Amino acid sequence: MSSASELVVGSSRSLLAAKRHRTVRKNSRRIYSAYRDHQQGSSDEEGGDDKEVDSNDPEEMFQNIQYQKEIIANIRSRPWPMRRKLKVLKQAREIVLKYEGQLTRTRGYQTAGADLLKKLYRVLYNIVVTFIPWEVRIKKIESHFGSGVASYFIFLRWLFGINIVLTIMTGSFVVLPELLAGAPFGTTRSKTIPKEHLASAQDLDTIWSLGGYLQYSVLFYGYYGSVRKIGSAGYRLPLAYFLVGMAVFAYSFIILLRKMAKNSRLSLVSASDENFTFCWRVFCAWDYLIGNPEAAECKGAAIVNNIREAIVEEQEKKKDTSLAVLISLRILANILVLLSLAGSIYIIYFVVDRSQKLEQEKPELTLWEKNEVSVVVSLITMIAPSAFELVAQLEMYHPRTSLRFQLARVLVLYLGNLYSLIIALLDKVNSMSSTPHESSSNWTNTSSTISSLSAQVPRISVSEHRNSTMATISTAINFVHNRSSLVIAYNQTIPFEKNARSQQDQCWETYVGQEMLKLSIIDMIFTVASILLIDFIRGLVVRYLSDCCCWDLESKFPEYGEFKIAENVLHLIYNQGMIWMGAFFSPCLPAFNVLKLIGLMYLRSWAVLTCNVPHQQVFRASRSNNFYLAMLLFMLFLCMLPTIFAIVRYRPSEHCGPFSGQEKIYDIISDTVASDFPLWFSKVMSYVTSPVVVLPAVLLLFMLIYYLQAIARSLKFTNNQLRIQLQTERTEDKKKVFQMAAARLQTPEASADKNPDQQESDIPSHEASIHTSSSQQNGSVTNVQSPINHSDSIRTITQSASGADLNEGHVSESVRRPAVIVLPKHQVEPLPNRPRHFIGGQSGSCRSKSCHHMAYNPPSGLSNAIHTDPLYRKTIRSLHPVEAAGIIAAQNYGGRRGPTTRYVIVNEHRPRRKLLCSATRIPRHYLMEEPTEILELYPRNIKHYTPRTNPQHPPRSHTSQQLRKEEEETGKDRKRTSLGKSLRPCSLPDHHQQAHFYIGERLDSFRESQRARNEIQKDDEEEAGKEGVDWGDFNLPSPSQASIKEKVCFHTQRHPVHSPRRQHQSPTRSRHMGSQLKPKLRGQLETHLTESDSASIASSSDQQNSSTDQYIQVIHSKERHLGSDVRQEKVSKKKTKANFDINYTESNDLICSNV
Amino acid sequence: MGNKQTIFTAQQLDAYQMICNPTLKVNVLDRPRLFYRYRDLAPQLVPLDYTNHPDVKLPYELIGSMPELKDNPFRQRIAEVFSEDGEGNMTLDDFLDMFSVLSEMAPRDLKAYYAFKIYDFNDDDFICKSDLEKTLNKLTRNELTEDEVKMVCEKVIDEADLDNDGRLSLEDFQHMINRAPDFLR
Repeated sequence: MSSASELVVGSSRSLLAAKRHRTVRKNSRRIYSAYRDHQQGSSDEEGGDDKEVDSNDPEEMFQNIQYQKEIIANIRSRPWPMRRKLKVLKQAREIVLKYEGQLTRTRGYQTAGADLLKKLYRVLYNIVVTFIPWEVRIKKIESHFGSGVASYFIFLRWLFGINIVLTIMTGSFVVLPELLAGAPFGTTRSKTIPKEHLASAQDLDTIWSLGGYLQYSVLFYGYYGSVRKIGSAGYRLPLAYFLVGMAVFAYSFIILLRKMAKNSRLSLVSASDENFTFCWRVFCAWDYLIGNPEAAECKGAAIVNNIREAIVEEQEKKKDTSLAVLISLRILANILVLLSLAGSIYIIYFVVDRSQKLEQEKPELTLWEKNEVSVVVSLITMIAPSAFELVAQLEMYHPRTSLRFQLARVLVLYLGNLYSLIIALLDKVNSMSSTPHESSSNWTNTSSTISSLSAQVPRISVSEHRNSTMATISTAINFVHNRSSLVIAYNQTIPFEKNARSQQDQCWETYVGQEMLKLSIIDMIFTVASILLIDFIRGLVVRYLSDCCCWDLESKFPEYGEFKIAENVLHLIYNQGMIWMGAFFSPCLPAFNVLKLIGLMYLRSWAVLTCNVPHQQVFRASRSNNFYLAMLLFMLFLCMLPTIFAIVRYRPSEHCGPFSGQEKIYDIISDTVASDFPLWFSKVMSYVTSPVVVLPAVLLLFMLIYYLQAIARSLKFTNNQLRIQLQTERTEDKKKVFQMAAARLQTPEASADKNPDQQESDIPSHEASIHTSSSQQNGSVTNVQSPINHSDSIRTITQSASGADLNEGHVSESVRRPAVIVLPKHQVEPLPNRPRHFIGGQSGSCRSKSCHHMAYNPPSGLSNAIHTDPLYRKTIRSLHPVEAAGIIAAQNYGGRRGPTTRYVIVNEHRPRRKLLCSATRIPRHYLMEEPTEILELYPRNIKHYTPRTNPQHPPRSHTSQQLRKEEEETGKDRKRTSLGKSLRPCSLPDHHQQAHFYIGERLDSFRESQRARNEIQKDDEEEAGKEGVDWGDFNLPSPSQASIKEKVCFHTQRHPVHSPRRQHQSPTRSRHMGSQLKPKLRGQLETHLTESDSASIASSSDQQNSSTDQYIQVIHSKERHLGSDVRQEKVSKKKTKANFDINYTESNDLICSNV
Repeated sequence: MGNKQTIFTAQQLDAYQMICNPTLKVNVLDRPRLFYRYRDLAPQLVPLDYTNHPDVKLPYELIGSMPELKDNPFRQRIAEVFSEDGEGNMTLDDFLDMFSVLSEMAPRDLKAYYAFKIYDFNDDDFICKSDLEKTLNKLTRNELTEDEVKMVCEKVIDEADLDNDGRLSLEDFQHMINRAPDFLR
């Protein structure tokens, strides 16, 4: 009849649907496969997939090829064993080759060319990589001492690279042109060693103090000629000198900032304020690069220390210690440090001052006197850090904090040293350059003639004082003689004389350059000495004398030298600071630094490998750590300041250097603009530099800064917002993970059944679908039961039961179970916060119930009894034919609904997870399913309950909802409310469906109902006694309140008995009647319960947290059930009986075995 | 490398190069070099001709004695994780695989995945307390007292366990490890 036609339509529809699903699935697989492969890594479908695509559609082929290429490209990053990788790679390549050839010939050539290019590139890359300096050496160190020590050398190498570039810049634009095209040595006064000095110019002593030939060489500023253009090409050396000097700073800034930006991008992830102290200490503790037993031992000890420290810290977090002694100690320590800092600064200043005086007073300086300044500075830089370390022990800080303090102090010390040195020097410079400025009034006329006069005028009569002053350049003796005579002769002009001498004799730029270079050299010597003495000799002594000493040298006093990464890195920074400071005045300083760094590299690496042990407290300086770089940047800035100051403040020396004769050094720019550029340019420049332009420009800059800052602030704000959002997401995610875990617990073994499931879902065979569903149930049963050793498992059972009860027994059921009991149990459950409300509460109630049962029933039947009893009760009450029919429907619904919702959740859940965790281990059975397949699953599940229940009582559904609402209100339990809500969307689609199946339903249901009724009667008889007990149970635990409620509920329940709301209320019961003809049904019940439980949990949680989720759910169900409900209904009619029988036995057996 | 051809075919070499992350950045001689490393462990066992995929396995004792591993407290686990038989006996493919993953060029996620496997001593896809205890004891050479170990385990799980199931899943682990400042390539 019409039912038959319906069936036909239905089946065809389902066929269509299945087809559509399949195509969808295919596509989606293609799209998502990259993800999926990346994620799960263990699916072996890859091979099958590859062959599967055989169509000739070029578009598809192209896509396939793209896909395969993706595989090839990503294959490195997949966690597969090599064999599998090889296989997949081979397959992918074959396919690419095959189809690509098919597609077009040109494309084939293209790819061949691309391949060739790629190979070439690889070879080139490899060759380039081979030339990375010291790579092997660093690796070796890394293998011995771990990445911490290696980071020092990598930093060193990076600095080396910077210095190379600086050297190239200065070398190619300043030094080389000067050497090639500049006036040769000895032609001008500034390039000639004065006669008086000539004799001692080659003395080691002179050379050592960078005098003599060195002073008058390209090493220093003074050598460079001030001729505007040199050579035939007209190279503007002074301009180049100035520009290069500035470019050195600019380049350093840019490269530093770029590196820092890169690093901060890298370390952005780790910048989150989440705290995983212990995790990191455990999982990230071992340095996998260590390959040396000693280092391994050290590392092990360090790890133990570290962990202990963390433990102590953790314990001390609870109690706050405010010890006056400690505080006073710390104050003392800080005072000590400050004193020593001040002392060191004073000493440096004093030494510079003294050397200045000595220079003026003494004709011959001893070696010590000449190098006093740099030696003292180096000594201070060497000794003070150790002193600080000693002081730091007073403070008793946490090692990490003390290390930070130490670093900060040392940095301040270094900076203080450099600054006091440079200030002292500039002071001297000031006295050098400012006094002539005052006296230049008498001077200016002659200065030009003086400069033009060559040094060939050796003898100058004492009487002509101006000439004599010129001549004083020559020798100190001469000068002294001169001066003495002058002092006698012209008392009032003494300062003038002095200044004249110093002006001609030394230009201050050269002097500063000399000092910096000297400092650098001395520093190098001290470094070498300290490495040799402190590390090497000590190592030798400890190694060879430990036998003949009364205590263990290796572990007690001298020990081996530790490699202190932090301090060494700081030293490097300090060194680089010196270079930056002096680079303008001594263009070859970077070149010298390159040499120094090379030497340091070899010496240090040798020393580290031979006689050092790694530092106990490793300061984590991974490559992405910006700490050192920030310090370096700080240093750069601070080192640039004096140079800039000197350039801006002081007048360049009159007689030497590229800027001689200019008022200021930077005048070179304006001069060049004025003289060498076309007129319009200088005009433009004058406009541009006029206040009219500059002021608005500055204003604009300020505005820009303000604007950017505002943007940064708003971004920060958004950042915070996003973080908060992420956190909420994460909590949600936690909850979902928990749900997954719950689902997993129930159906780990069902995973095996799911494969057939998927296959069958494609085929519109009713048998199959029913079968699979039942098998699923079985699986779930076993799983619920099997992990009994876990405390979790039992809980989940109970939870599920309660959840199911709530669902099935509907509100009456839940109300009867007093909520009062529920609440106190919350805390017991170690569940994530939100789900706890639902699950915990329910489980709590259930638990309480189960306890009572324990009393009455043997423990073996415990969980079963719990869940079944309410159902039986209901069955007694509702022995209505119509209801029985509905029951079948409801049974289907009840049985299937669980899986449905769960899959919906999985479905919406997965993408999110993908985002969060890139590679995953999702429980096996989830892995096997594609999202699309999940979609396929639930149409089957949902459709049952929808058509069947409604047709019977279409008008009642509304009333039922109302009723439910009322009940919710009475219940007042939030959880239940959400449950009720979650159910409602499911019932909505029912209304749409009613008409279709009305007749068919009736017939089926009637038949079923008849049979069912018989069963029920049987059941009742069997379970009568037990029921009585159960009833009693219920009353026992519940407070009076609850019992009242119970009564109310009974009344309410009677109404819904006839209403379609039964769908919620009585799925389990219906299961009884429709299918569970034998007393064994319990097992089955349980399976349903568990499934529906998870569903309820899921839906309820969804409901609460995000309405969108709910919405999605509804939509899905709508979409799907349209297509496939018909076949299901048919199935249920015909096959239920047989299948269920099988199931019961199976499940029951399983339960028994587990119990 | 004259005898390169005799050990591997060009295709094999190429495939290996595609698959493996370059180790030590020096890639030209890399595969053959690694092969020699492999072979040097047991010259009598490993043939010089790999063109027809001989089935050779080196026992764990040899693998574990490599300088790269011999001081590593987790060497046995590493060998087990990377070997196909799960007992630390390695074929050449496993060997290359191991070096590929431990290479500094290997992507972070891959490393995290294998790190998880290494720490998951009982292969149940979770790092549970027993795994943690083992890890700790290996790491500290049993120097911590039992209470300390217990506390650290609890702390670790407390910190990293997102789903509150009392053990660390791969997601938890990755979530945690990806934020570690030291977990870099």
